[in-house]
Amino acid sequence: MATVSTLPDGPRARRGTSSRFRRVPELLIEALIRLCGWSAILFVFGIFFFVFREGAPFLFGGLNLREFFTSSKWNPTANTPHYGILGLLTGTLAVTALAMAIAVPLGLGAAVFVSEFCSPKLKEGLKIAIEMLAAIPSIVWGFIAYMTLNPMIIAVTGAPVGLNILNGGIILALMSVPVIVSVGEDALKAVPDSYREAALALGASRWELVYRVLFPAAKNGLLAAVLLGVGRAIGETMAVLMATGHANQIPTSLLDRVQTLTATIAAELGETVQGGDHYRVLFVIGMLLFVIAFVVNLTADLVVRGVRGKQNA
Amino acid sequence: MPDPKTNRYQYFVSRRQNGEGAGGDGSCEHPLPSVRDALANIAQQHGGSAPQVKRLAGYDRVEIFALDKPGAPGQPGRAPRYEFYVDPLGAADGEGTGTAQRPWPDLDTALAGVARLDEQGSIPLAPGEHMALSVREVFSATPIDRRRRRTETIAGIVCGIMTLLLVVPLVLILGHLVVKAWPALSVSFLFENPRTSMTAGGIWAPLVGTFYLVFISLLVASPIGILAGVYLNEYAKDNWFTRIVNLAVVNLAGVPSIVHALFGVGAFVLFAGMGESVLAASCTLAVMTLPVIISSTKEALASVPMTFREACWNMGASRWQTIRTIVLPNSISGILTGVILQVSRAAGETAPILFTGAAFFLNVPDKGLRYFLPYSLDDSCMALSYHLYVLMTQVKGASDEQIAAGNAMPLEHLQYGTAVVLIGLVLAVNSVSIGLRVYLRSHKKW
Repeated sequence: MATVSTLPDGPRARRGTSSRFRRVPELLIEALIRLCGWSAILFVFGIFFFVFREGAPFLFGGLNLREFFTSSKWNPTANTPHYGILGLLTGTLAVTALAMAIAVPLGLGAAVFVSEFCSPKLKEGLKIAIEMLAAIPSIVWGFIAYMTLNPMIIAVTGAPVGLNILNGGIILALMSVPVIVSVGEDALKAVPDSYREAALALGASRWELVYRVLFPAAKNGLLAAVLLGVGRAIGETMAVLMATGHANQIPTSLLDRVQTLTATIAAELGETVQGGDHYRVLFVIGMLLFVIAFVVNLTADLVVRGVRGKQNA
Repeated sequence: MPDPKTNRYQYFVSRRQNGEGAGGDGSCEHPLPSVRDALANIAQQHGGSAPQVKRLAGYDRVEIFALDKPGAPGQPGRAPRYEFYVDPLGAADGEGTGTAQRPWPDLDTALAGVARLDEQGSIPLAPGEHMALSVREVFSATPIDRRRRRTETIAGIVCGIMTLLLVVPLVLILGHLVVKAWPALSVSFLFENPRTSMTAGGIWAPLVGTFYLVFISLLVASPIGILAGVYLNEYAKDNWFTRIVNLAVVNLAGVPSIVHALFGVGAFVLFAGMGESVLAASCTLAVMTLPVIISSTKEALASVPMTFREACWNMGASRWQTIRTIVLPNSISGILTGVILQVSRAAGETAPILFTGAAFFLNVPDKGLRYFLPYSLDDSCMALSYHLYVLMTQVKGASDEQIAAGNAMPLEHLQYGTAVVLIGLVLAVNSVSIGLRVYLRSHKKW
């Protein structure tokens, strides 16, 4: 008993002093961890700040915002330059819309199949295939669009050039479908199994389970999947640069060539004079893209959080 | 003709046959002359010798309508004048009487029974009236059931086709690329530098450049990303600030790659004064791939059971000691998966390096140490993805004479070769990550 009573001021006191020293590197590393954790915020602000910093002088000094958004005249190298992005905006929208029209049904159908209809082994294989699809670099997609899809579209539709909205839409659909499948599958997986069991116990078929139970329960997650697919499609650069034909016009048919916001930056930034109006207006377009992507991602996040909050309540 | 909703088979009989109805097929327009003919027809269509699909099953129902004249059926909604039942399980031994209480055991007996009643004249049908023969089978699917099963099968097939539509292009694309690139692929293609304004030689210089970019971006991104993942999973409390950090990670992943390029120009090339260099391009790639590492690290850490940590804390270990000795070692494979994914993404990206450090062409020595380490950090470098872009857009193919003389390769071969090496590199790295994950799952400790 006596030994026990000496413990408090004996070894423990000594350990206290040494652990105080031992805690110094630990405190340092914890500070570093915190700093790295916050770095994501830092980088998001950093991206906006540095893009803004290059674009701001022209945005607030010289850029006619009305012309910027309402004119389709994009002619930055002429003697009297015109900076109208309406054609680029509609180009981006047209390609994205077509891509989503293809990718959303395919993606959701595949998500349902992978999550509800197929055997575990097949599921594993399909998920790997879809990951592989996601891993193909965008420049390779552009290459495929240019070398393979282009002649195919010419042969099928008889259009003079196969680099157009249709080509870009198909390529973008294939590029954004993996996001939709994996996020959609996660959303279906997140529906509690008790829902499935209840539906099956009531005699629902698997399709009724999907259609009447899982879709309503997972609709926010599925919506988020679609939004993330949209985000991916809007932001894609190299593939659409190669696939859409890169001609500034407001499209009227699927076989029209278009120019997108992202492709414009990629194609023109290299030829501008640093600090010039043309150079700065490309950064303004970058800001616009950043804001669009931010809104899309924020909406997707809020949509998912919304359902989580409701489930907790 | 069965009605899919109720599985009813209808036969029509006209009393005023006078020759005109003879040879009818039992339809409303061409009725059969008598009930006996109808019964014979039914026996032929659905009886014991009929093919399996046509035999009557549970909830099927045969109706015989008496018509005033062809093409004018009675009121459709009326209840049948006579009802008979077939029920193999509910039949009493011996012959039944066709009533609900004593059903007939099978269709042939039933038809014979009805024919006997008809001959006796005990079941006269006035025009507009009908008789019904219902098949009852316990445990057999109802028509509604069968329709639902059919819908289920169709839905499954449609979803399966949609999935197939994703997998088939992948296979076709890969196959097409490899077939087209086959003439160009060789060991020397990998290890030779591009020559004669990029119409000959191989892809060594861009390949090394890609390794440079990937390696340096990995050095920058993985410590930050892993520590950020540790912060989010181990330190962050569940409050609004953590939510903002998580949101920032999601948004960082969603920023278009060309905006990352602009950021790289503004921050690294100009503001940090790196110029267009390997370092600037790598840093841009690092920022871009950071969210991949963060989220997969977070996931890997979250899969370590809480009890492991609690056990460690109970032994008196501090938070960091727990992370260092228990959490990280147990999740290292999962973290590696994310890091490897970062590699594959960084290797394939073109847009972020376009203006931050990718070079159109650099002369790389063919021998010596400089062959293996040709680039310096503050100078630009070639990269595989950008090299493919250059080959597609800016290189003019060699003339036929040059190709015939063996001094150059057809441009298409160079393009396809480069594309296949790039895609092969990315998919190989990805396969490592997938393999690691599969291994990890089969060797789980908990």
